[in-house]
Amino acid sequence: MQRRNFVKLGGAAAALQCLPSIGFSQQGEVFRIGSLTPITGAGSPYGPGMQQAIRLAVDEVNAAGGAGGRKLELFTEDDQTKPDAAVLAAKKLIEVNKVQAVLGTWASGVTLAVMPLTDAAGIIQMNVSGAPAISTLDTKDLVWRFQATNDRFGAAFAEICAKRGFKRPATMAFNNASGLGNVEGFTKVWEKRGGKVAAHVTYEPSRPSYRSELQKILAAKPDVIVMGSYLPDTTIILREWFQSGADNKWVIPGWAANPDLVKALGAEVCEGIISVETVSNEKSTSYAQFDAAFTKATGKAASTNIYAAMAYDMVISLALAMEAAGPKATVEQVNAKLREVSNAPGTAVYSFAEGKAQLGKKAKVNYEGASSKLDFDKFGDATPDFGVFIIEKGQLVRRDVVSITV
Amino acid sequence: MTWIAFANLLINGLIEGLVVALPALAMTLVMGVNRFPNAATGDFLTTGAYAAVAVQMLGGWPLWAAALASMAATAVVSAGSYTLIFRKLAGRPMVSSMLAAIGLGFLLRSLISFFAGHDQRTFDLPLVRAWNFGGVRLLPTDVAIAGIAVLCLLVVFVLIYKTSFGRQLRAVADSADLARASGIRAGGLMLSLWVLVGALSAIGGVLLGMKAIVSPEMGWESLIPAFAAMVLGGIGSPVGAVLGALLLCVAQELAVPLLGPSYKLVLSFVVLALVLLLRPAGIMGRVQRVR
Repeated sequence: MQRRNFVKLGGAAAALQCLPSIGFSQQGEVFRIGSLTPITGAGSPYGPGMQQAIRLAVDEVNAAGGAGGRKLELFTEDDQTKPDAAVLAAKKLIEVNKVQAVLGTWASGVTLAVMPLTDAAGIIQMNVSGAPAISTLDTKDLVWRFQATNDRFGAAFAEICAKRGFKRPATMAFNNASGLGNVEGFTKVWEKRGGKVAAHVTYEPSRPSYRSELQKILAAKPDVIVMGSYLPDTTIILREWFQSGADNKWVIPGWAANPDLVKALGAEVCEGIISVETVSNEKSTSYAQFDAAFTKATGKAASTNIYAAMAYDMVISLALAMEAAGPKATVEQVNAKLREVSNAPGTAVYSFAEGKAQLGKKAKVNYEGASSKLDFDKFGDATPDFGVFIIEKGQLVRRDVVSITV
Repeated sequence: MTWIAFANLLINGLIEGLVVALPALAMTLVMGVNRFPNAATGDFLTTGAYAAVAVQMLGGWPLWAAALASMAATAVVSAGSYTLIFRKLAGRPMVSSMLAAIGLGFLLRSLISFFAGHDQRTFDLPLVRAWNFGGVRLLPTDVAIAGIAVLCLLVVFVLIYKTSFGRQLRAVADSADLARASGIRAGGLMLSLWVLVGALSAIGGVLLGMKAIVSPEMGWESLIPAFAAMVLGGIGSPVGAVLGALLLCVAQELAVPLLGPSYKLVLSFVVLALVLLLRPAGIMGRVQRVR
């Protein structure tokens, strides 16, 4: 008896669950967005802020009367910075919530795991991951990247090394797509400029010591070592390097050379390390507006989380594309407009309302984002500017901003 | 390869080998007496490292005092896990104890990351420049690590080969029934063994943390090298475990100029395979004949 009742109740509950979604799909006046950011796991310092930025942007678009005659509806999930958890969450967003875009994946492994699902469903995917493979695997052109690829990080490293007059760089890479992507990007650009890389080592994760790897690199007497690395391995390598008493400089990606590294090693070891991280489009009006809204919502400045500005731009550019595609446009038609509203040529606009007004006058628009100029290349990758930070007395001090031409 | 480069690689290998030797020894002791591979050894290491980090953070103690406190704490965890889990599984097939050990490892790892988070931690110890002997570089930290490891190994060997505790332990390892018939009480003996295993693992964890970083996965990731060293040395042979660890790590580091750092890990397993082809029971192992 009990079991039968349970089945009945369960069936009724399931039917009720379906009702609202049936209602929405018939109206066709809502565009459903899934936020899939790392609330927990390695990406947890950034994920919550990204989710809030997406919410801010959704509210902004809805306050301006929606996009293409439709309001945005937001569903949020945690990808846990784990590919398997992300796949489950993405499945739920796609199959239960029927979202038409999945926004905000952070780790490359997560994005690569979610992409096949969004591609199969024919919906838009937007991420801030670095792996170069995301560009080439995106065969349907539905995947949009708001962060520089590892390859471009490497190109920026080469710019910075040339600018600072280094002559004999050596490279060390963590053995995965991201680490190798960084140093391959560096080597490609450096050699194109006529330079030579003195030595290279690919090293394995989670070793108790990297002295032999360092020995091989230092034997080439480099004046700078360019890294494709993460925080734990960088900690071990730098500690052993400092104790060995070499005097070269370092260029390290910002996710590895951060305040935690200084905390682990002390100011003396880290003195003079060049840390490179993408920076937001800080001089733009869009960034100023976003910064104000984000600070009001979270109590933290937008500069504390570069990915938040990227997440915000995801929604705004998507909404502008919806506006350009017009009412009742399919996901495919909206997707086709993304490049058009973000890239030149067009009137530069700095907010959704501005863009909507211009599009209403049948003008072409070029959204200048809060995170970057937001010009997508043929792979759907944007390229933000890079900030050059030097660690001085234990503090990361910004000394320069570098743009690379793609 | 110049002899200076060779000497440096050799030193790196020896020091890494000494760090690996401690968990390998802890594992081989349990393997010899309780007859199962203790897959939680790695997480005992992690427990030890985190206990020392906690004592340093909360009490502001110097590292040596924190290490002693962590030995005591990890010994309690280890003895407790024997009393609550492995003692109950003593008569069962080896696999059930091994699976229980894997489960225990998961439990410890999850508890640690729940309370301490996933962020890496480091010990508070001064960084000193290397001593340079005409290009052969010795890091003072490494010398300290090697010294402590050697001292621990010596203490364990004295306990096993020179005391009545060790004699009884070896008797139980050889034949539990015969030992019982000769009036050896296994209960207290086992508890002492697990206390020793816990303390040894804690030191191993602290040394690994000094050399690398302290993270929830550190011990789990160092389990396979320790296991390989144990097999190479001959299962259940304490001297073998240390020799195996040294041989594997030295072979690995010397392979760097030839194979590069990515393939040096493979080489250690080639060495393992070769030795086991020549001596199926490992360097110091005896082939058990079925009576």
